[in-house]
Amino acid sequence: MSAEEKASVAQDSVAAPVVVRVRRPALAESRWVRRLLIAAALVFLALFLLLPLVAVFVQAFQKGFAAYWEALVEPDAVAAIRLTLLVAAIAVPLNLVFGVAASWCIAKFDFRGKHLLTTLIDLPFSVSPVISGLVFVLLFGLHGVLGPFLKSQGIQIVFALPGLVLATVFVTFPFVARELIPLMHEQGCDEEEAALVLGASGWQTFWHVTLPNIKWGLLYGVLLSNARAMGEFGAVSVVSGHIRGETNTMPLHVEILYNEYNFVAAFAVASLLALLALVTLAAKTALEWRFGAELAALKRH
Amino acid sequence: MTIRATGITKRFGSYTALDSVDLTVEPGELLALLGPSGSGKTTLLRILAGLEFPDTGHLELDGIDALEASPRERKVGFVFQHYALFRHMTVFDNVAFGLKIRPRAERLPADAIRRRVEDLLELVQLAPFAKRYPTQLSGGQRQRVALARALAIEPKVLLLDEPFGALDAKVRKELRRWLRSLHQEMHITSVFVTHDQEEALELADRVVVMSQGRIEQIGTPDAVYDRPASRFVFDFLGQVNRLPCAVSGGVARLAGGALTVPAVGDPAQGDAVAFVRPHDLGLVPDGAGLAQVTAVTTVGPMARVELALAGETLEAEMPRGQWAGLGLAPGARCGLAIEQVRVFPR
Repeated sequence: MSAEEKASVAQDSVAAPVVVRVRRPALAESRWVRRLLIAAALVFLALFLLLPLVAVFVQAFQKGFAAYWEALVEPDAVAAIRLTLLVAAIAVPLNLVFGVAASWCIAKFDFRGKHLLTTLIDLPFSVSPVISGLVFVLLFGLHGVLGPFLKSQGIQIVFALPGLVLATVFVTFPFVARELIPLMHEQGCDEEEAALVLGASGWQTFWHVTLPNIKWGLLYGVLLSNARAMGEFGAVSVVSGHIRGETNTMPLHVEILYNEYNFVAAFAVASLLALLALVTLAAKTALEWRFGAELAALKRH
Repeated sequence: MTIRATGITKRFGSYTALDSVDLTVEPGELLALLGPSGSGKTTLLRILAGLEFPDTGHLELDGIDALEASPRERKVGFVFQHYALFRHMTVFDNVAFGLKIRPRAERLPADAIRRRVEDLLELVQLAPFAKRYPTQLSGGQRQRVALARALAIEPKVLLLDEPFGALDAKVRKELRRWLRSLHQEMHITSVFVTHDQEEALELADRVVVMSQGRIEQIGTPDAVYDRPASRFVFDFLGQVNRLPCAVSGGVARLAGGALTVPAVGDPAQGDAVAFVRPHDLGLVPDGAGLAQVTAVTTVGPMARVELALAGETLEAEMPRGQWAGLGLAPGARCGLAIEQVRVFPR
């Protein structure tokens, strides 16, 4: 714009009558649209998340705290809680290792069949959990492919802890890997290469460079994986055999109690699972809140 | 350190990134690998560092077969194009990394490492930034951290991949000068990759011009600029005017024979192309001259003059004062004064 044009524009703006208009950024919706959207979201949340959660606790405490406590310390319930914790304690670390290994090789290397592997990692999400469980029964069950051999060796997998762990590992496998692959992909290999040239060994590179860069993503993945591992029903139900006090995990125990019309006990155990979900959410939020700046810094770089 | 690469070939699938490249880097020199993208210069640098391995060829560092050696054993300092600083570490920890991860037997004591890192940060003028994270630094500062980190392991050779590529023009110029003086102080054998001819010509002791996986020419900046070995080198090292001509007996006849100029270069006879740089194209005010001024633009202190000569468009470049002194304007005719042209076969 030439100096003359500028001057004429300046004059125009002085001469023009002052019009006060409410301006809003191009992307902002009007107030009513905003309120409507927020209200819709809140109603949905209340109906589908909050209400069931409240219902669980209301049912659990229907006959007072004593009955609630009774249901939790009853031997079968304790066994179920223990088994659930044990399965998670085995399955989650396994998935941590597998997940990191899988995302490492997918994000940092190029090889034939990479896309296939990426798709396969998502398989547990796309397959019905019941099928996932059934696969293990067909493989390791008494009439399964490996059944006779395992029986002759005195190894029991299905209807025992190993089967529960296998089914849980399978179902929760994608959580860690899916969290890490995009993260590692975005970060690329530059820092690893820099570490190698500076003389770091492969292990040092992983420990000092790769792991610190993915630790928050990894923690997310582990949290989600853990929540699912403790809450998994379908696949575990198939391989469990529902032996009370032995192969019953918490979700299965809830089902048994419910089918026996023992609503207070069923909801008492269910409330523990609900609590787990809340703790997981709280931990995730706390991480984001506490280390938000650091997380952002990692992503920004 | 002397680097001797012979017959280096590298293919990525069906694409040949390097095609039997021979290169010797003398101890203490600052060498530029110059070429357009896809010329193989970065691949060559990565092979020197041990980040990439050639399909065929030999690489010797100080007479020792380097292809058998890991990056750690090669003792190279590598500065990455986008710095590749460890984002979760402070500036101090970034620079200290190479020292801290050495095997216990070779590792310096902790306070010696600290002193060394502090000295290096002093050297790259970043001492006050030791506790910052890479994201809290500007591009130029990150670049210097990357350099300090590479120098920390006392490398025998320093490799830099597009060291100034991601910086703005002013910072680039400063850093360039600073790197030049640093090299003069430390005399460490250095190889840097660039696609910017000005950078290569200003900074390097010798320039290696590359194209499509091959080395086109190796020489001092003056040599490659003044005596380009091929039309690619002539083209790549600066602006150029190309004119069809006929050559005989060391003389090029331009513009259909109306203009004769001494020809050097390829001993071509007959039809050829004459190359002449805009600043070698002199103008003489002449109302009946061969050329006609069609447009003028001034860029800073220089005037760029567009000319028409026998159906061809030419560009001449000269200081603004000189242009004003000629008293020419668009539309005016003028004569051309060309000392010599470099000819290549058509």
